[in-house]
Amino acid sequence: MASLHKHGISKWIASSPPIAWTVRQLRELLIGALRQGPIPQHVAFVMDGNRRFAREQHIETVEGHNMGFEALARILEVCYKAGVKVVTIYAFSIENFKRSKHEVDALMAMAKLKLLQLSEHGALLDRYGASIRILGQRELVKADVIEAIDKAVAMTAHNKRTVLNVCFPYTSRDEITTAVRSTVEQFNTPIDIVQTPSKRTFSESHITQHIRKQMVGEDKDGPPSQDASRSASPAAKSSGESQSSATSTAINSSEKDETPTTGPTYPDPETITVETLNNNMLTAGAPPLDLLVRTSGVERLSDFMLWQSHENTSIVFLKCLWPEFDLWHFLPVLVEWQWQKKKLLEQQRSRGIKSD
Amino acid sequence: MASATGITQKEELAFRHNTLNNKQLSAQDREALIRSHLPPEPINVSHSSSPSPAPSSPSRSKRSRSRSNKPKAGPVRSFVYFIVYQIIALIFSIFFRFRRSWRLFWYKFRSVMGHHHRSPEWIVSDVKNLEQIPKHLSVVLDYHEDDQDQGTAGLEGLVNDVCEIAAWTAAAGIPFLSVYEPTGVLKNYHTQTYAAIQQTLETYFGSRRRPTLTVKAPHMTSYSPPGTPSSDPTENGSTTSRPHLTVLLLSELDGRDTIVDLTVTLAQMAQKGDVRIDQIDANLIDAELNDHVSTEPDLLILFSPTVVLKGYPPWQLRLTEIFHLPDNKGVNYQVFLQALKKFGKAEFRIGR
Repeated sequence: MASLHKHGISKWIASSPPIAWTVRQLRELLIGALRQGPIPQHVAFVMDGNRRFAREQHIETVEGHNMGFEALARILEVCYKAGVKVVTIYAFSIENFKRSKHEVDALMAMAKLKLLQLSEHGALLDRYGASIRILGQRELVKADVIEAIDKAVAMTAHNKRTVLNVCFPYTSRDEITTAVRSTVEQFNTPIDIVQTPSKRTFSESHITQHIRKQMVGEDKDGPPSQDASRSASPAAKSSGESQSSATSTAINSSEKDETPTTGPTYPDPETITVETLNNNMLTAGAPPLDLLVRTSGVERLSDFMLWQSHENTSIVFLKCLWPEFDLWHFLPVLVEWQWQKKKLLEQQRSRGIKSD
Repeated sequence: MASATGITQKEELAFRHNTLNNKQLSAQDREALIRSHLPPEPINVSHSSSPSPAPSSPSRSKRSRSRSNKPKAGPVRSFVYFIVYQIIALIFSIFFRFRRSWRLFWYKFRSVMGHHHRSPEWIVSDVKNLEQIPKHLSVVLDYHEDDQDQGTAGLEGLVNDVCEIAAWTAAAGIPFLSVYEPTGVLKNYHTQTYAAIQQTLETYFGSRRRPTLTVKAPHMTSYSPPGTPSSDPTENGSTTSRPHLTVLLLSELDGRDTIVDLTVTLAQMAQKGDVRIDQIDANLIDAELNDHVSTEPDLLILFSPTVVLKGYPPWQLRLTEIFHLPDNKGVNYQVFLQALKKFGKAEFRIGR
């Protein structure tokens, strides 16, 4: 690997305009060629090795992170040009707050600066069709950084083609916990207030309403009465279950507009599935994770994308450090992924023939 | 190679320090610099015609127009792409095949040279120089219904693999082994698995020094030895020096589905008012999953050619070291040993 300072001449040649132009064309050619095969729809990166890179190159840790950001920009370009729909990056772990204050502050400042710079180039981001999402614990971030985040997120929210998920104060366990908690919360909200999709189209209360309407002989529209029932339900919730028998008898005697039959009716927890939790994960709506790349030779997930990557994701551990990471490292990974994908398809096909 | 980014020195410096010729860059300057790097799209044209870029409010009409005529490469260009793609695919496929044969040859060579000869002493001497040994080892196994790849197919092959791994684990001095196999077929043959492991341990250690054994699975009563009277005194006092091995059988159901189960239970409790929303935190989930499924393994060994987790319980994988030998297929002692060696050297840092 050409180091930063030693190979001054070769670097100078490589970055002279004609060579740079040629290399750029070559990159475009390779990316265009890659597009011909299957392309992972969702790729995640653990950007590991910035600090070690800085140590090895004898530059400041912060500068290492800066170089890491450049590598990220390069690889994002490759991904989006190649046709990846969603890229998820592990920018900052909740555990990273344990690092030195100097480094954390510098990282935060960098994030803010880059996000603000990004916000100045909305039109360019539109060309990539990329929208930015920040996944993680917002409460842990300082207000000024949050402001920069919100600006960048809001500005790109209308883009639908590609997504950049930035995991910023994130851990996967925290994500799963939050998903479990919000699922419980959803199922702890009475049905009438939040319109949770119920399996049946017809509700009993609605039918009784209609019957009553016919009996009374009124010819009003449906929706207002439905609204009345919805607004009445919080009262029923507060009254608790003890009153439910009373209200049901009230219906039998067909009194007034005390429509809600029971007390708080909750959605059935048994209907919670993997899909429910999926929709409550921070990556909800993204295609399943196809490829996870971790640099710097550490073979661990480190609390990243545990839920998303534990099934059919190809996990690749690379030896190179993140600031060195570029198309030349990513190309073999992609080609191997395509190769495996093709083999898998062939296997499935042959199995399908066998079973027929 | 590292500098083959296709960026000139001037551009690189501008990018890094946000200055050009010692002047701070404005948003327009940056856009001008980056123009040549942008993807060729029709929107490009519409922008150069209107020189004032409006960053904050991208006009909707422009974007919808650009979407209608999608970026289309010319036929020559796409043909070139196609050819290059085929060439790359061909070269790499040859390369991958060669690499695989070379690796397999090398693994075979090593496994012949470093065979354990079914003797625990050999294994002990293999691992005695390691700085650390995992306390909880986990392996991922496959259940092949037909033996298309190798001889170890079907239930028999699977049980055989489990037995061997259990014996190596016991010999290496690891007290806890969890075996993940997606279909969970082993759980149905609980007692048979127990008997088979017991027997293998006996052939390795001899009936005198054989470690005591517990085989368990989540949501099942653990199967502890009825025929080993020595297991009781060991628990009371350390009268015997026999090590103990616990084997935990995991399946796909212990992964996402268990977390769903937990959510269902929590939702039911919350509806009854037994648990408040704010009481649900990572510690609670962690404790529940630890007790009912498994703790976090220190080391996960895959015997598959690539790293694909196949539904392994996600919560437990947080900091687990994941080991695989590329292109290796099937259980063998070398993978096990390499994994322990790598783990012996690994450093653990929380927060990267």
